[in-house]
Amino acid sequence: MGTQKGRKWFKPMFEFEEPDPPKKKKGNSINKPRETNNYDKEIPLKQNINVTLHNVNNKNWMKNFDPVNIEDLAVHNKKVQEVEEWLKCSCLSGSNSNILLLSGPVGCGKTATIYTLAVSHDIKVTEWITPVDIEIPSEYGDYHYKESQTKKFLDFIINAANFTSLLDNNSKKLVLVEDFPNTFLRTPADFTDILKQYKQRAKSPLVFICSETHSDNKNTALHLFTPTIKDQFNINHIMFNSISVTGLKSALKRTVDIISKKYTTMYNIPSPSVVDSVVHSSGGDVRSAILNLHFASLKGSTINLETSIIQEKEVKSKGVKRKKNSSSKFMSLGKDQTVSILHGVGRVLNPKVVPSDNGCTNLTHSPKDVIEQFISHPSSFIAFLEENYLAHFSCPNDVDKAASALSDGDFMLGEWREKTCQEYGLYTAVAGLMLANKAPVSAWNPVRGPKNMRVQYPTLQEMPQLDKDYLYKGKVLVTDYLTYCKIIGNIAEDVLLDISD
Amino acid sequence: MSLWVDKHRPKDLLKLDFHKDQAVRLKSLVQQSDFPHLLVYGPSGAGKKTRIMCLLRELYGSGVERLRQETMHFTTPSNKKIEIMTVSSNYHIEVNPTDVGIYDRVVIMDLVKNVAQTHQIDSSGQREFKVVILNEVDDLTKDAQHALRRTMEKYVATCRLILIANSVSRVIPAIRSRCLTIRVPAPTESEVCSVLQTVCKKEGLNLPSELALKISKCSGRNVRRALLMCEACKVQQYPFKADQKVPEPDWQLFIKETASMILSEQSPKKLGEVRQKLYELIIHGVPPDIIFAGLLKELVINCDMAMKCQVASHAAMFEHRMRLGNKAIFHLEAFVAKFMAIYKKFIEDSVGDAF
Repeated sequence: MGTQKGRKWFKPMFEFEEPDPPKKKKGNSINKPRETNNYDKEIPLKQNINVTLHNVNNKNWMKNFDPVNIEDLAVHNKKVQEVEEWLKCSCLSGSNSNILLLSGPVGCGKTATIYTLAVSHDIKVTEWITPVDIEIPSEYGDYHYKESQTKKFLDFIINAANFTSLLDNNSKKLVLVEDFPNTFLRTPADFTDILKQYKQRAKSPLVFICSETHSDNKNTALHLFTPTIKDQFNINHIMFNSISVTGLKSALKRTVDIISKKYTTMYNIPSPSVVDSVVHSSGGDVRSAILNLHFASLKGSTINLETSIIQEKEVKSKGVKRKKNSSSKFMSLGKDQTVSILHGVGRVLNPKVVPSDNGCTNLTHSPKDVIEQFISHPSSFIAFLEENYLAHFSCPNDVDKAASALSDGDFMLGEWREKTCQEYGLYTAVAGLMLANKAPVSAWNPVRGPKNMRVQYPTLQEMPQLDKDYLYKGKVLVTDYLTYCKIIGNIAEDVLLDISD
Repeated sequence: MSLWVDKHRPKDLLKLDFHKDQAVRLKSLVQQSDFPHLLVYGPSGAGKKTRIMCLLRELYGSGVERLRQETMHFTTPSNKKIEIMTVSSNYHIEVNPTDVGIYDRVVIMDLVKNVAQTHQIDSSGQREFKVVILNEVDDLTKDAQHALRRTMEKYVATCRLILIANSVSRVIPAIRSRCLTIRVPAPTESEVCSVLQTVCKKEGLNLPSELALKISKCSGRNVRRALLMCEACKVQQYPFKADQKVPEPDWQLFIKETASMILSEQSPKKLGEVRQKLYELIIHGVPPDIIFAGLLKELVINCDMAMKCQVASHAAMFEHRMRLGNKAIFHLEAFVAKFMAIYKKFIEDSVGDAF
């Protein structure tokens, strides 16, 4: 980094009265340029405490913690091996144009795995980044499009696959696509075309990486890879799961080691409880886990001990108690816990009771926590509950209570103009169901989706006797006409047949 | 070959078979040059629509009988295309706004606007306004009803609305007060009988009065159903016999079956089976309120008086909630569950008393 040098000619436009960096504590031997930047200064100023920070790292600090060796990866060994084998057989053996698709939730180490493996096998990775393809509008306000995204993309991946950079003499190459050009989402046919071309012309393997989220099942790149396409181009699909707790722990342990070896100026060495909290609040996402650890252990909140304790309490705070002395989780950090609808249904229909300290019993998942997850779509959640609750009950009296609760819930949800009614309706139904079941049936009950209750009224074609130019009401057709038209029509046909015979 | 119900529908106000006094008043209403918006309500099969068509004929002459069917297209604010069937003549247009579900508001506003903005070209002594007939107004969403209120006032000069409903209790008061509300009660059993006799006479058939009475009882004072039943009877067996079996509607049999399932066993498993039956009824378009009424009628047969009251009051409560809620099945099921709980307790108690 040419920071030192750069400072000679670069005069910052924003001048701070920079207090002389006081000598830091012992052990601060790492010789890095010190500078206070804008952001870091703000914190102490607000707290009115005259302390300078010593953040010195201009690089992307996350790079510090990037895995170096294959063993550093938090991904499960088996997965890494799977990917490694693919790499070996497609890169090292022959130069054919194999295609690999990696999918998995965000932050489960897909990209990291590829890069780490590539480094260890001495493979050069070239990654496609979708460029901005609209120029600044001309003075008449119209846009000029450069060449089409599709063409650019094709050129890129084929060039990247076939030609070696002059700057390195590496013969093994790999093309990586994580950033899908939008045009393919609109016209998947183009994509098939590109793959065809690639198969024919390219001489290096191609890796696609798709993050999947369970919330949006449309519009993701993963949908480009239909089973037929996978078949046609012989695409290898490796699915990643989110990182396990042990995986996260070992990754964080490594991070802590790195911190304690190199970056003590920047971080407080995180205590095991902090690491635990990070593990719990990141939900299997190793990237966000490291981000959280970074935030939680940055120096600066330890200006003096008292505030730091309070601060720490604020940060960590009364998290969810899991077991008796399990660790807490951050309230202000990390992802919100997301519970899928099936999970939620399970929590409501199989409520678990734990004795609490003061002699009464508590539900492990209180109705309040459950409804928090589904408050944005209460009626679909209730529909799921309604469809599935019966199998868990054994006593008609309990069913009566549960069904009444659901009825109450639906009644309240009917008042859509009042936001609180939605919440109360959901709460009534959820709490009612959780408390009603005194004699639960324990059996494996697959969760079924709610039934589509779209009414299908009979069509006029079914009843040829009806007057074509009369407007019949659907209800009336069902309640009055249908049965009798059948009787009348059938016999009339019989009579006609008789006559023709 | 059209059905008797359609073939023998009276076309003149004075030829109606019952509520004749009302018919005369309606006639004098249209003989005035102008008439207000109408809200015609009454049970199914009481002759609301027949009366309205007679009224229109009185207004515009036989031109209203030249009907044509048309599918109209609308676009909702969210850019969803919806289509709806309409039946119209040169003078009126009829539509079931509830066919499009929650988009009924769009249909009402656009349709009335379209109609009201085109003036009658042919002003040769005809009325200056067109008529829009809206069916099932009580099933309209609240949103649509409020839209209707505004529309009614705005286009009063060029168009009149005739609203048809089963009950006014679910029509918002603002609409009720803007319309002349006409109630068409169900005919009495003897009136139904006389209708049947007249129709049979026109068809050249001989209907025994016992059978006529039986049909009118089975039909629940619904003339349309009575005529259909009568025609079905004729197809099944003619000459008529006095003790002939009158075919019941499918769904009624289905409800009876469901009720006997409920009575046979009270357990969550049975309730699950009952639910499947209820689903089937609802999906086939049997209105949930009719399912409610049918179930209650079948279930209370086996109850003593105290229990009848209890069951009926629960039924009333759940039915009311069903109207206000969104999903009929929840409330139907809650009612069945409630009945099962009550009935099971009743059975257990009576078994306990026996020992």
